[in-house]
Order: sequence, then structure tokens, then C-alpha cells
Amino acid sequence: MTTPRTIESAAAALRSGEASSVELTEEALERIAALDERLGAFIAVNEAGALQQAEQADADLAAGVDRGPLQGIPFGLKDILATKDQPTTANSLILDPAWGEGYDSVVSERVREAGAVIMGKLVLSEFALGTPDEEKPFPIPRNPWRLDRSPGGSSSGTGIAVATGMVLGGLGTDTGGSVRFPAAYCGHSGLKVTYGRVPKWGCVPLGYTLDSIGPMARSAYDCGAILNVIAGHDPCDPTASAEPTEDYLAGVEGGVAGLRMGVPREYFFDHEELDEEVRSATEAVIDTLAGLGAEVVEVKLPHSDIAKEANTLTMVCEAFAYHRMDMGSDRWTEYGKGARNMIGRAALYSAADYIQAQRFRSWYAKQAARVMADVDALVVPMTHEPAPAHKPPDMNRRLTMPSYAGPFNLLGYPALALPSGFSSELGLPLSAQIVGAPFAEALLVRMGRAWQQVTDWHLQAPPDDAPGGEEA
Amino acid sequence: MPVPDNVEATVRALVDAAGLPVSDEEFQSLVDGYPTLRELADRLYIEEVRYEEPALIFTPLPPAKGE
Repeated sequence: MTTPRTIESAAAALRSGEASSVELTEEALERIAALDERLGAFIAVNEAGALQQAEQADADLAAGVDRGPLQGIPFGLKDILATKDQPTTANSLILDPAWGEGYDSVVSERVREAGAVIMGKLVLSEFALGTPDEEKPFPIPRNPWRLDRSPGGSSSGTGIAVATGMVLGGLGTDTGGSVRFPAAYCGHSGLKVTYGRVPKWGCVPLGYTLDSIGPMARSAYDCGAILNVIAGHDPCDPTASAEPTEDYLAGVEGGVAGLRMGVPREYFFDHEELDEEVRSATEAVIDTLAGLGAEVVEVKLPHSDIAKEANTLTMVCEAFAYHRMDMGSDRWTEYGKGARNMIGRAALYSAADYIQAQRFRSWYAKQAARVMADVDALVVPMTHEPAPAHKPPDMNRRLTMPSYAGPFNLLGYPALALPSGFSSELGLPLSAQIVGAPFAEALLVRMGRAWQQVTDWHLQAPPDDAPGGEEA
Repeated sequence: MPVPDNVEATVRALVDAAGLPVSDEEFQSLVDGYPTLRELADRLYIEEVRYEEPALIFTPLPPAKGE
């Protein structure tokens, strides 16, 4: 099996003349033609537009115009981000087709200006929260390693497309783990950025105080390359931070020697539902980084189980405010079952519950700040188990499942999901997570790079004939 | 806030107040999940949080360009 392309290797190939953007784009289109019907990654492919952009990227490079590492790279956008040349659906019959018509979101515009070849719009969970619904006219996304397993959500299509080479990088959004879950279940890297690091204008909202747009790609390095393009203030987004950006790849080869790596055992490592292989794979990340010179520091981040609940409550209540006018009307059944249940459930909370979640958030942020004052990063499992069965779990069961992603959305901290191995029984990807202080994305990319220089989990690609289809 | 004795009536009142036209099956799912939902939400009310301000941001300054 050949090593799959990364943005890093493809960008080098484009500049050495080993490959052209048109060739990379045709490769990606071939992958889409071969796999997408079975895997359900794309809502809409823009073949003609992609080839045109690829020709332009090649012409620019030939003329000495180098826009950076995304130039000429096959790229995908979650279909929650407005694009001027394709409709935006949010994977829902509800979204007004006029929304997003004829203009780009800030991030769509930025990746376009960086010369990325936009292959099309990628599948997501409805409004970034629902579940796949066979009664609706949208593709059913499937895990590329086993078709009867979930690819994770909500940025399912981006996860599948990156894992299978339909794109070399893409964008997802993360409100409670939606960049990191599909990255984890599909076996590649995904970076949830600091709240406010990337402007959200032109992105359909889910949870206003939690949403972030982040890179998804095979490697941590590639995530840094994408972040270099999309990070930075924009006045159209009142929540966009004015904190200066930096070159997220400048120190990428700096290694981890001397870094203090916090390990919060409570909840993140001792939960009764944590899969043993996920736990031991995360321990291996810690041991390996320690072997490269990082110092392990045991830390306490109390009430992280409640932080998960505060994140969920905040997310669904904010989403319900956005959706209530449609949900409380004759359009109710135009939503999929999952979105109806997850968002409509917010009606059962009180206004005081929402405010209390924000008061808890203040308290939890202080605890986390104390921890981060003593360490450079935290290392924890990304998920509590490998990809679960494709059938959506019982909605009431979802209330009690642990989440190692949500607490960091509540905090607004950056977190990088990294492949950490495979499960022994079904060969499903495992994932760990490195979490940083606000705006520490460059450090996370550097730590991810160190891990991925001594492992090759992120370079494993699923077989084109993945098993499990007979049960899917 | 303890789980009320009559969960079904409580959920019915909340769903109706929100105007959600849920099916019988959806209503039953909400009723089944309500005690757990309430229990989890009640866990937010811990002693440590008693004097915290909510993490909500409001500024009286005029909106930035584009809003």
C-alpha cells in the first residue's frame, strides 16, 4: 500500500514538478467517483469548478505566484459554510435556500484566496447536531473503516473525505466535538480551535457561545497549514478575537523536550465506560511524548463530568433559540428525527438552568486556568470508545454517555485530535487529544508533529472495500 | 428542582408551552428521558458555583461593522 498524500507532501510535489494540481484534483475526483456513493461524504461535488481552480493554481505556480501550501490542494467544506458558487443546506430541508446564496463565508473566501481547490460541499449531521436520517434526501455517511460503524459527527463528510483521499484537507465545525469525533472515528487529525480564533461569519450557527470552525486533515502539520489560512479577526463576527495570529508552523519542528504535560486522571481516564484500548493508546501517547523529553504532571480538573452536561445544555438551548420558530410550526417534521429530538429537548430545560450552566462555566474556567498555569498542555483520550454502531444511539442514552470533547468547548480551549492506534477486534481507529491554553494552537501542532514523527497511525488509510456493508 | 411526581404532565406542559407538535412516540421518548435530563441539569447547582457570575458577554458599545 502506498503512503497516502498529505497536504505537506502534495504541496512539495506541486513545487518540485512531480505533480500538478490538475493531476491531484483528478485523483481526488476518481476517489469520489469510486467511493462516495457507498460512503456518503459529499452533498454536492463541484467537478467543473474544481478542475478550473486546479488549472488556475497550476498556471499561478508556473508564473511564480505561490499562495502557500493550500494552493492547488483538493479541499472540502462542510455544507454549513456559505459558498458563492454552490448552495448551502446545513444537511436540512429547513434552511432557507436563499441563506448563503451568492457569497462566501469568511473561511470559504480565505481558503479560496489561498488557492485551495474546493471539491464541493460535505455531509454533516443536520444543523451540526442531528443524526443521519434515511427518510430525508441527504446521503447517509458511513465509517470508511467499517460501513456498519459511525463516521462520527457532525463533520462526518469531511472526516470520511480526508480519510479516503477524496480531499487532502477540509473544514469542519466543533461545538461539542464535531471536528474531533469524525477525525477520531475516521482515523486522522482534527483541530478544534480556540473560541474566536477563526471568524464564523457565513457559518450556520449551532451554539453561539461554543461554535468554532477548524481544520481537518491527515496530519497535525496539515492542520497547522490550514489554520495559517483561516485564523484571524474579521469585523463581521462579533465573537472573532483580535488576539494576533502567528505562523502555526513556524515552531513545528521544536519537539516536546521540556514541556509540562498535564494528565487529569479523574473522569478522563477512570470513567467506567472508557474503553480499555482507548485508554492504553492514550497512555502510549503520554509515554512516548515523555520519552521525547516532556514531563508528565498529574493534575486535577474537578467536575469535568458536569462540564460535559453544561456544554450539552448550553449547546441545545442556544440551538433551540435559533430553531424554535421553525420547530414550533408545521415544519416540525421537515427536521430529521435526530435534530427534532436533540434540539426540541431543550424545551425541557429552564432559563435558570441555562444561566446556571454559564455560572458553572465561569467556575470551571477558573479551575482550568489554574491547571494550565502549571502545565503547557493536557493529554486525554479523545473518545471513550472506538466508532460506535452506525445506528444512532438511543437519544436518552446519549444524555449519560461521557464526552471528553465537550468540556473543552465549554472552556473555549483549543484541542487537537490525533490517531493513536487501532482497536484489536475490528480494526477501528483510536484517538487521543492534546489540549492547550487559549490560543496555544501552535504548541498543539508542534506536539502533534512530534507524536506523528515517531508513529504512522495518521498515515493509515482505510481499504476501498471496507467490511460491514451487509449490515449497514 | 426535584423530578416532579407527574413527569408526563410536566413534559406535556413544557412541550406545549414551546409549541412543539411532537408525535406520540416523540412525546414518550421525552417523558422517558426527562428524569435523567432533570437529574443531570440539577447537578449544575453545586455549592462551588454559588457566587459565580455567568459567563455571558455583553457590551454596551455599538456593534462592529457587518452586524
